[in-house]
Amino acid sequence: MTAIDSRKLRELYESMVTMKLWDQTALRLLQEGRVLAGYHSGRGQEAIPAGGVAPLRRDDYLMYAHRGFGYTIAKGMSMAAMFGDLMANTAGATGGLGAGIPHFADPDLGILGQGGTLGSCFPIATGAAFSAKYRGTDQVVVCFFGDGTANRGSFHESVNAAAAWKLPVVWICENNGYAVSVPSSDAIAGRIVDRAAGYGMPGVRIDGMDVVEVYQTANEAVDRARAGEGPTLIEAMCHRFRGHYEGDPQVYRTEDDREQLRALDPITNAAARLVAAGELTEQQLEDLEIRIQRKVDEAVEEAASAPMPGPERLFEGLYV
Amino acid sequence: MSQATATRTLTFSQAIRQALHEEMERDERVFVWGEDVAVYGGIYGATAGLLERFGPRRVVDTPISEAMIVGGAVGAAITGLRPVAELQSSGYFGIAMDELYHKVARWRYMHGGVFTVPLVIRLPEGAKGAGPEHDVSPEALFLSASGAYIVIPSDPADALGLLKSSIRDDNPVLFFEHAGLYAVGGEVPSGDHLVPLGKAAVKRAGGDVTVIAWSRMVGESIRAADQLASEGIDVEVIDPRGLRPLDVDTILGSVAKTGRVVIAHEAPKTGGAGGEMAAIIAEEALEYLESPIIRVASADVPIPQSRYLQQYLIPTSASVMEAVRRLD
Repeated sequence: MTAIDSRKLRELYESMVTMKLWDQTALRLLQEGRVLAGYHSGRGQEAIPAGGVAPLRRDDYLMYAHRGFGYTIAKGMSMAAMFGDLMANTAGATGGLGAGIPHFADPDLGILGQGGTLGSCFPIATGAAFSAKYRGTDQVVVCFFGDGTANRGSFHESVNAAAAWKLPVVWICENNGYAVSVPSSDAIAGRIVDRAAGYGMPGVRIDGMDVVEVYQTANEAVDRARAGEGPTLIEAMCHRFRGHYEGDPQVYRTEDDREQLRALDPITNAAARLVAAGELTEQQLEDLEIRIQRKVDEAVEEAASAPMPGPERLFEGLYV
Repeated sequence: MSQATATRTLTFSQAIRQALHEEMERDERVFVWGEDVAVYGGIYGATAGLLERFGPRRVVDTPISEAMIVGGAVGAAITGLRPVAELQSSGYFGIAMDELYHKVARWRYMHGGVFTVPLVIRLPEGAKGAGPEHDVSPEALFLSASGAYIVIPSDPADALGLLKSSIRDDNPVLFFEHAGLYAVGGEVPSGDHLVPLGKAAVKRAGGDVTVIAWSRMVGESIRAADQLASEGIDVEVIDPRGLRPLDVDTILGSVAKTGRVVIAHEAPKTGGAGGEMAAIIAEEALEYLESPIIRVASADVPIPQSRYLQQYLIPTSASVMEAVRRLD
């Protein structure tokens, strides 16, 4: 692994801290009964959205997964709009439809949205990549999905077509070991990364808790895609710290299992690296958190001041 | 509407091809993809010649991957293209149902209206002797998929004009083509022939009975009406040209005039769109009805592959005549 400059590591760190503080704030709002939706915490998996989105340009396309809101935070989506969607009010990107299992999008940022049925990201990603190639742009699509989603049939249909047509797409699988409650070992034959060989494209399995490794791997895959060399499959091994959803009793793993994960925190590890390199002091790390928390709180405040939608909202935006 | 008056004769299949050709010529963003649509020209010949004219970039043979065909069209549509995707048979709807029902119809709405999804999914339907999974007419399944238009031509002129309008429309369109009509010829206006979406056609004017029919049943109903005229029954044939948008005004106007309604479609009666139309008429125009509404449809059985048995199942002009004669 080649070194990345410390400025990039700071950016990635800051991105992960924003995701963590966003997540904590969303959980607080949830506890306060201010969220009109379910929420799938992304705590523990921040390195993947941070490292995976960082190589993208503004006009590159993003198909995000449902675990946390890190992907869209990294792509530059308005935090107030995302909080508005959690609160289901008119500040939301969906204008009040609500999107705790996010269905927000921002075409200007290349954020193409998300389906509620797992695996529906794959065909759309292939279509967007086809579109980029058709229009003769050098835009790239990055599609995030979990190990559970990797078992949908749509994976095969879409990954095959994208590889056959050498489309500019990077498939990033976050393998956190559980499809809701079912361990990967009970549900996945072989290794997800090995499927890449069957489609004749590169496949890389990486430590998804290491933001530098994620960034460097994704960067290389995005460059390949942009150069017209076709898709790459990245399997990022990781751990989710909380349940599948808030309220998940997590009967499938013990308290001890979960406690051990704390040592693998991608954010603490990146912080230690920055301190060891003399890039940031403990005090600066603390200041950074305070500054970001303030931004997150401002976004909450902005979102909270928006009104709830009226019944007419139901009938807006269905047809052109 | 087109001002053209000259006509030419095209088959239904040629009309589809002509629409694709004209719209691809007009708009670089329009492309065609599906199974066997390029080199082979489509199993019904509806895309023949497009590859030669527009090349493999815009006329794309896909793998046998219906979810990708439909979902990929959504991905292309929200990123600036105007796909026309072909499902080789509408019977494959189930393989791509998540994409058709949720993604095509709802992607725009559920993301707050920030996208348009300007695409057309062409769905050959209807009995042709290919078996119970191919010979279906599943348009009514999509009545609850609000967000998607459902357009169904019944003759070559409408096939041309409705497909061109569907390609130009910014809403997603499920475009059903009866496979039994592909070889049928008809007069088609010359020039840039556009038929507006959501406008019913009075295919035959009459004052005694309203027959609402679409797809292949329009021709059957017109034949029935011609026969019944000799018995002194004056039948009006209304073709809604699809199920959404639905031209309720034209339907109710005809019902108010005749007071007698037959609804004819090839799909099985139960769960067919005739039920929905009968309900609309009952809600909006019951006071005009002189007689109960009669539905002409296939029986509630899977459609056998045997064309011999199909003759006892699939409704024809005789079924429409029999229904009209039963009215009070």
